This record gives sequence, C-alpha cells and structure tokens, in this order.
Amino acid sequence: MTLIDSILEKLGTAEPWIEKGGVHWLTASALNVRDLAKTMNALQARFVTITAYQLPGTEGMRLEYHWDLDGQLLGFTFLLASNSIESIYDLCEAVDWIEREIHEGFAVDFLGREYEPLLLRHGDKPGVNLREEDE
Amino acid sequence: MSYKIPMGPYHPALEEPYKLDLICTGETVSDAKLHIGFNFRGIEHLAESRNYIQVIALMERVCGICSNIHTLTLCQAMEGLTGLTPPPRARYIRVVVAELERLHSHVLWAGIAAKLMGFKTMFMTCFELREKVMDVLQAISGNRVNYSMNRVGGVNRDIEDPLAILAMVEALEREMIRTVIPIFTTSKTATSRCAGIGVLTHEKAVSCGVVGPTARASGLPQDLRRAAPYAAYPEMEFDVPVQQDGDVRARLLVRALEIMESCKILRQALTKMPPGELYAGDKLEFVTGTATSRVEAPRGEVMYSVSWKEDSRNPSRVHVRTPTFANMPAIRWMVMGARLADTPLIQASIDPCYSCTDR
Repeated sequence: MTLIDSILEKLGTAEPWIEKGGVHWLTASALNVRDLAKTMNALQARFVTITAYQLPGTEGMRLEYHWDLDGQLLGFTFLLASNSIESIYDLCEAVDWIEREIHEGFAVDFLGREYEPLLLRHGDKPGVNLREEDE
Repeated sequence: MSYKIPMGPYHPALEEPYKLDLICTGETVSDAKLHIGFNFRGIEHLAESRNYIQVIALMERVCGICSNIHTLTLCQAMEGLTGLTPPPRARYIRVVVAELERLHSHVLWAGIAAKLMGFKTMFMTCFELREKVMDVLQAISGNRVNYSMNRVGGVNRDIEDPLAILAMVEALEREMIRTVIPIFTTSKTATSRCAGIGVLTHEKAVSCGVVGPTARASGLPQDLRRAAPYAAYPEMEFDVPVQQDGDVRARLLVRALEIMESCKILRQALTKMPPGELYAGDKLEFVTGTATSRVEAPRGEVMYSVSWKEDSRNPSRVHVRTPTFANMPAIRWMVMGARLADTPLIQASIDPCYSCTDR
C-alpha cells in the first residue's frame, strides 16, 4: 500500500483518489475536516492553502484544502451548504491567515475560533471583498 | 512593565506597508502582532472580469519583484485547462527567466539586508550587481520589471543568442564569488548582526508551514524545483542549500548559496537550450474545471488555483497563495525574545513582499 493510499484507510473512506493535473483529489461527503487535519499532521504533510469558491445561486460554498506530502499535492473538497465549517486552527497553526481571509472575503464561518481582522478595515463586514450577493 | 511599540504601516525599516505591534519589556520583544491589508487591491476578484489574455497581464502585476513567476504559475494552471504543452525551447526559456528573477530578487534582498545591518557599502555593491541582472532581463524581454514572457502554451519571446546571455551570467557569477558571498559569509559586520538573531526553530517552521529560503534555513529541505519539477527543471542538475540554525544568518547563507545554484542552472539552460517553437497552438479551448499549479518563487512556493467554465473567455475564479502569505505569520515567533533594534532586520530576513500578500 502506498503512503497516499494509506490516507484513505486512515480517513475511513471508500472513495478513491482522482488524479488530475498532478493533484490527487478526494471528495467524500462523510469526510470530517478535523479528522483530515489530524491525519495530515500524523503524516507530517505540509499545509498549503484553502481555496474558496462561491457556488451559483444558493448552493453555498466549496472549499478545497491542500496539503503537500513529499512534493505531492493533495486536494480535499468540502461542500458547505450552511456556509460554515469547523476550524482546524487549533490543529494546524498554518491555516490561521487563510481561514481569516476566507471568513472576510466570503463570510464563511470557521467554527470554534476567534477572528481578528486581517484585511478588513474599520467599518467593513465579512464578505465585502469577494462574496457576491445571493440573488 | 511592558509597553507596545507600533512599527509601520509606514516606517523607514519597512519596504512596503504593513504593521508590527511589538510588545516590549525594556528593550526585549515579548510578543508581536502583525497587521496587513493596507494596500489590498482585490486582484483575485478583478481577475474574474479579465479574459484569458488580459488576466496574464493583470496577474503579472501582483508582484513587482517576482512578476514572471506569477505569469508562469498562472499559465501552467491554464495549460492544465487547455491541454497545451509548452515546447522544449519554451520550457528552457521559462527556466532562464525564472532563475534570472531569483538572482535579482536575492541580490536585491541582500542589498536591503546590508542596509538594515548598517553596511551601506555592501548595499551599493548589491544594487550595482542587481542592475547587471536587470540588464540581462531587459536584453531578453525589453522590460526591466514586467517581462511579459509567458503565454498559455509557451513564451512570447525567444532568447536569440543564449551564449551572449551566458557571458553576462558568468560575469555576474565572478562578482558574486569575489565580493558578495565572501563578505556576507565571513565579515564580522554581517556575522555579528545576524548570527543567533531571529531564530525560527525547525519545529516552528513545520507548524507554521513556511516555505522557500525561510524553510530551508530552518532545516526543511523543500524546493518544488526538486520535489515537483516543472518547465525544464527535471533536466537541470543543482543542489538545494539547507541550513539548520534557523537564524538570520542561516537565511542569508541559504540565499547566498542559492545565487550560486541559480548561476549553475542558468549555465546549463543556456548551453543546452534546444531549438524549436516558442509556443504550442494559437487557439485556446478551455474545459470546465479547476487546475492548480505550483512554482518555486525566489521567496518560496507560489500556488495558483484557476477555475474555468467551458466557452467562457474569463476565469470564474483565480486564487493566489503567495510565499509571503505563508511566511509572514512566522515573524511573530522570530521576534519573540529579540532586541527591539534587531526587529527590522529580522522581519526583512524572510524577504517579505506585502504587495504579493495584499494582492
């Protein structure tokens, strides 16, 4: 079993990796972001970033979490219907700024953490930078 | 009794606007808070209103120092959505420009570091050298800052006489060996201001997820040119300098050694450059989806995520993760316990780019 395949076993998912453009992607509806962070920590993978996408209409948001494992980029997709997801800041210090940026840019709430302003100036509110108003 | 000293957002020790709130006890920094966003430009949002040609020109302006890296990373991501593969000559030209950019970035940083050490002669020497690198870039691209070299599927301009460029690179390398590297590695001025200062431990470097020379100076041997090679890097032989001390001197040494490695890569790329086309295909057909690309910029890993809808001329999302965005939070741990007078040099030692960070 390869190191990458062992991640699936650790996460307890039957979904396979999908390799696209040099990235191994995993989209599993039952995936828990905190379990994922603990697994990545155990493997000493390096957190890279989170990319947020606003989906059309009222479909919510898609977040893509990226870790680097020995030069291999891993991508994990989370669909947010409720516009919130658990924070992993207490497990992974490196997510601090990107969680704050996505909170401010798209008004996504990372549950279980405090925010301090990162890019927002006085009087602005979360979502002012990148979020489009729901029609 | 502790007190707070604000440094920035506009301060002689900072090249661009950001703010450090330093909590001090006497002359010792006990904690620090960082504030960014003073020049936030909303470029990611702006990119959604630009077509596939305009967006390249736009993203080139994310950063003034590593402008080429941004277009390279973006174009590689867009190539993932169009299925275009750059021809061999274009891949070599991409390596040449990327390494020249690394050279001028590292020499610029060395000059700024020298200034902050109070070593003005070295500052002038570094900037004179940097001018020579800029001359090479201008000779290749016609531009000194935004080179407009990359396009989807290849490059816009050829290097018509690689061996003429090679002579300029060799002259540069001689000057680096003769002055810059010996002074930075052996002079007492540099050593006394840098050794044991602003330490980022290996453990903190891992937990903060730092990248580039900042990571390599704390013992992390990560370099995308080696770990996930792109362009013509799989065909280049070079070493990845790593230092273990994690202090300002280690970051200085890593960059100094990387200058030599860049010269080594440039020599190989210029002498082995294959003939052939500069780009593949004129017609771009994007597929619906998301593509990512990563490149080792002078300051560390840059990552682009680009999302496209079929038949659209504009990207639906462009996300940029710059190296300084990953490295800057670590400054807090570097300045803790440091003398207040050392903080300008410590924050500069990650070679921060607030322009990239605010994007």
